[in-house]
Amino acid sequence: MAAFDIVGKGVPRTDARAKATGSATYTDDIKLPGMLHGRLLRSPVAHARILNIDTSRAKALPGVKSVITGADIPPVRYGNWRLFPNLQDEYALARDKVRFIGDEVAAVAAVDRDTAEEALGLISVEYEELPAVFDVDAAMRRGAPLVHDEVEGNVSLDRKIRYGDVESAFKEADYVRKDTFTVQAVSHAYLEPCSSVAQCDQDGRITLWTSTQVPYIVQCLLASTLKMRENDIRVIKPTVGGGFGGKMELRPWEFCAAFMARSTGKPVKFTLTRREELATGRRRHPMKLISKVGFKKDGTLLAKDLKILLDGGAYNAMGPTATFLCGNFGAMLYRYPAYRFLGLHVYTNKPPASAMRGFGAPQSLFASETQMNLAAEELGIDPIDLRLKNAQVPGDEIPDVATISSCGFRECLENVAVMSDWKKKRKSKKKGYGVGIGCYSFISGGVFNWFNTQYAFSTAEVRAFADGTVHLLTMASDIGQGSDTVLKQILAEELGLAMQDIRLTTADTAMTPQADLGTWGSRVTLMAGNAVIDAARQIKEQLFGAVSARFNLNVIYDLECKGGRVQAVGKPERGVSFGEAVAMVQKTNRGKALVVRGSYTPRRKGLVTPAFSFGAQVAEVQVDQRTGLVDVKNMWTAHDCGTVINSKSVEGQLEGSLHMGLGYALSEQLVMDGGVTVNDTFLDYKIPTALDMPHGVSACVPTYEPEGPMGAKEAGEGMVSPTAPAIADAVHRATGYRCMDLPITPEKILSGMKNKG
Amino acid sequence: MIVRFEYFAPKSLDEVLRLLDEYGPDACLLAGGTDLLLKIRAGAVTPTAVIAIKAVKGLDLISFDTTKGLFIGATALLSDFAGHPAVTKHYPALRDAALATANVQVRNMGTVIGNLCNASPCADNAPTLIAMGGTAVVESRNGGRCVPLEDFFKGPGQSVIGPGEIVTSVTVPVPPKGSGASYLSLSQRSRVDMSAVGAGVFVRLESSRIAQASIVMGSVGPVPMRASKAEAILAGKRPSAALFARAGEAAAKESKPISDVRASASYRRQAVGVLVERALGEAAARAKGD
Ligand SMILES: Cc1cc2nc3c(=O)[nH]c(=O)nc-3n(C[C@H](O)[C@H](O)[C@H](O)COP(=O)(O)OP(=O)(O)OC[C@H]3O[C@@H](n4cnc5c(N)ncnc54)[C@H](O)[C@@H]3O)c2cc1C
Repeated sequence: MAAFDIVGKGVPRTDARAKATGSATYTDDIKLPGMLHGRLLRSPVAHARILNIDTSRAKALPGVKSVITGADIPPVRYGNWRLFPNLQDEYALARDKVRFIGDEVAAVAAVDRDTAEEALGLISVEYEELPAVFDVDAAMRRGAPLVHDEVEGNVSLDRKIRYGDVESAFKEADYVRKDTFTVQAVSHAYLEPCSSVAQCDQDGRITLWTSTQVPYIVQCLLASTLKMRENDIRVIKPTVGGGFGGKMELRPWEFCAAFMARSTGKPVKFTLTRREELATGRRRHPMKLISKVGFKKDGTLLAKDLKILLDGGAYNAMGPTATFLCGNFGAMLYRYPAYRFLGLHVYTNKPPASAMRGFGAPQSLFASETQMNLAAEELGIDPIDLRLKNAQVPGDEIPDVATISSCGFRECLENVAVMSDWKKKRKSKKKGYGVGIGCYSFISGGVFNWFNTQYAFSTAEVRAFADGTVHLLTMASDIGQGSDTVLKQILAEELGLAMQDIRLTTADTAMTPQADLGTWGSRVTLMAGNAVIDAARQIKEQLFGAVSARFNLNVIYDLECKGGRVQAVGKPERGVSFGEAVAMVQKTNRGKALVVRGSYTPRRKGLVTPAFSFGAQVAEVQVDQRTGLVDVKNMWTAHDCGTVINSKSVEGQLEGSLHMGLGYALSEQLVMDGGVTVNDTFLDYKIPTALDMPHGVSACVPTYEPEGPMGAKEAGEGMVSPTAPAIADAVHRATGYRCMDLPITPEKILSGMKNKG
Repeated sequence: MIVRFEYFAPKSLDEVLRLLDEYGPDACLLAGGTDLLLKIRAGAVTPTAVIAIKAVKGLDLISFDTTKGLFIGATALLSDFAGHPAVTKHYPALRDAALATANVQVRNMGTVIGNLCNASPCADNAPTLIAMGGTAVVESRNGGRCVPLEDFFKGPGQSVIGPGEIVTSVTVPVPPKGSGASYLSLSQRSRVDMSAVGAGVFVRLESSRIAQASIVMGSVGPVPMRASKAEAILAGKRPSAALFARAGEAAAKESKPISDVRASASYRRQAVGVLVERALGEAAARAKGD
């Protein structure tokens, strides 16, 4: 493995100072002259036909500049799954039906926010209420009301995976169990609510600043919904305060801001309230998972039969991808000689679920990992031993789906057992005390082109200058995960430069090269990283040529970019500074600037991802046996993310996923009463606080991912998955209560303990 | 929801009283605003006048006197209260209750008395202040009155304070010799949160027997509620774990919780019994000077 100068170090983030001092500019900080403020009118009912909308009183209110409804906009349906247009099921504003409480019905732009808000109250909408469905069982019942008239049975999509002979494997098995799990909806709860500002120029072109993970997708879908050309839309991503999957689609306020900026000739801003975010926003899919597994007596896994019903809410959003992925994760981590998966994405009259950190994995792995722990208990095998016996190893193939390249899962299991002193702690009989385990695998970006992009998946342009600096331009979007820093590090490493030698322009669809699919599925480090390396190598090729000519080097000499110089390996005196080398190339090319483009598109990588990450986590809890309160004392994590590019970033990702996993396990839940989200404030939507955080210790298992940039792969998204099953297992040891339906509330623990007697 | 109101920040109590008189039921007092502003935004109250009282000199006084006891001024911040040496020394349970309220930022803005006047059934500072015999000093242009905190609460969001009135202070008697108090609360997100249930207790021992016991439970009824049956079980008995467990059970039975998004009624009932039992244990230990 190569030794690195900058890669692997805990280089401070490029945005650290701006964020710490409050000077980072988020979308809502943008104020343009003459700017109008928009607000959205949302449906108060879960399912209804719109009979009539009267906007006249709102339009007459002084200060109101524009009021639009579904009737005013082009009737274009959109959605991220462009490859299958029948899955594109949304209009920016409702046309004839509303399908969930919060569905966008009309938009107002006015001179200030209060006036816009007041105008909303002056719009009268006549609804004819329709019967509604609020869970997957009701939605799939014969004769159930249809959320979308054209989708029979409310199942918008099914996904099947099948290999091996499942039926005969179950017949051979000594031990078969079937369990049903349910998991709740949770919110991304990014700290920055969605916000967008649009401006229309003299030529009618639109610029949209928006809090998004996917500027390119927003650009394309905005073009199609506005019936404009892609190049007439410019999307810029300012500093973004988190997304976690909740900002990866075109959203109605982005459309409305652009549409109204064009119609009024004035900039228009929309910023959502926290209440809107919690009550109507995207969320992680609630699921019902029915899983049957078969083992031999000695613990060898033989087969799994998994059925997952995803409660998708009123629209597909990123549900189709989640349906694919939860089936994929059902067969990850362990070797299943036979596997059958059926995933159904079901419409209900609730706010749509979509992508959220883990993208189907947290749900699927909660079920899988809990079931492993149940099986271990009944087979009388230590749960870590049972996992080691079945663990995936490098080279394992999942037929038709993926081949696993680098894989340090066994090492993770062995490591975490040692770190946590597992054998000893697991035996403890202390009252209310327990340790438990959960594991994960995750993807490093997706390979399936559901957006049907005509460009490379990731692209990077590098411009080199004679003053020894370079300019990196990429559409890759840093939404707080730190990709700006990591991409700079990769480029600095390749070109032998320092961080401050690199100027960075990102996530501006008019200025950075087409294209990048955005930030989701842990794709940026691997894909944009590879694009950066591709560009850097092209730069190097030219610099090496110039230096080689200048020193009349024998062709067998190898050259390097190192410490700000371009030189022969082992003979640094035969070399020049980086800037001089650039000047030489420029001279050779009679003044032509040294500019290159690199790209990356995964090819021949199956259906899922170019690379999988792995990890194992042990939780230690103390449960108050009389109140059912869980105190998570310690978490030990061993994970395999390939080469660590930035140690501080990886550490931050680990902390963040622990925090999110903790909430998923114990306290977070969007409580629904029919179609109403009951807890729409941070008072009652319970995100763990800093004081709830357990002490965490982690270790990276060293592996090298051949497909990754400098051997790197995913870190931090997958790690959100093992926490809930690990805590659930620990709580079971502590109390006898085995959680089959997240979250693990004190009430469930107490009643679970009572049932045990 | 657009709210338009007049905003006043008078410097004297007289001026506050005059404004309260002038605007009557349409006025709202603003202390830290950590409850009020949320209510205004949600449209739960629609004042035409908001009268901020933090600029009134001296209203934030916290003082202790070995005969008169503790004095808590209307604008005394939760954080100043919790950090006050006399409170720490003589009223550790009141300090615990203040520290169980919200988080650092909110405690730096919010007041003890605002917490009471907001009259939420889950107000963290109410149970112990009631159990320790606190009294609210109420003033208006027409004079003043003293209301024992026990009689202060009328329902969720409702207190005895009428239009034109302000609570200028709350006083708490000097804890008698051989007494101790405790406040315990819990919620799912354990350490900084609106309580799902709470229990404030006060006990006084005389020759190793319980001469006086007050138990007040939060979040298990429309107002902070007294557990008189549990108190009766304790009267005259020697403190013991078994006794406190019985009192806890009785308190649980007396409680009248509802189910809501924070907890179910049956969980609240069970948990408040445990808290009462544990709080009694801590209060008795403090009474014995352990
Ligand atoms: C994030 C957050 C967390 C919170 N957590 C908790 C918690 O854990 N436990 C808890 O109990 N509370 C909690 N609260 C509620 C609130 O912070 C407390 O109740 C606080 O003590 C209120 O004090 P204040 O000075 O801000 O009151 P204000 O909001 O200023 O006033 C509250 C009410 O009392 C009235 N009022 C104020 N002063 C007087 C007076 N002198 N005379 C008559 N009426 C008056 C006001 O008109 C208003 O109706 C929380 C609030 C927030 C925002």
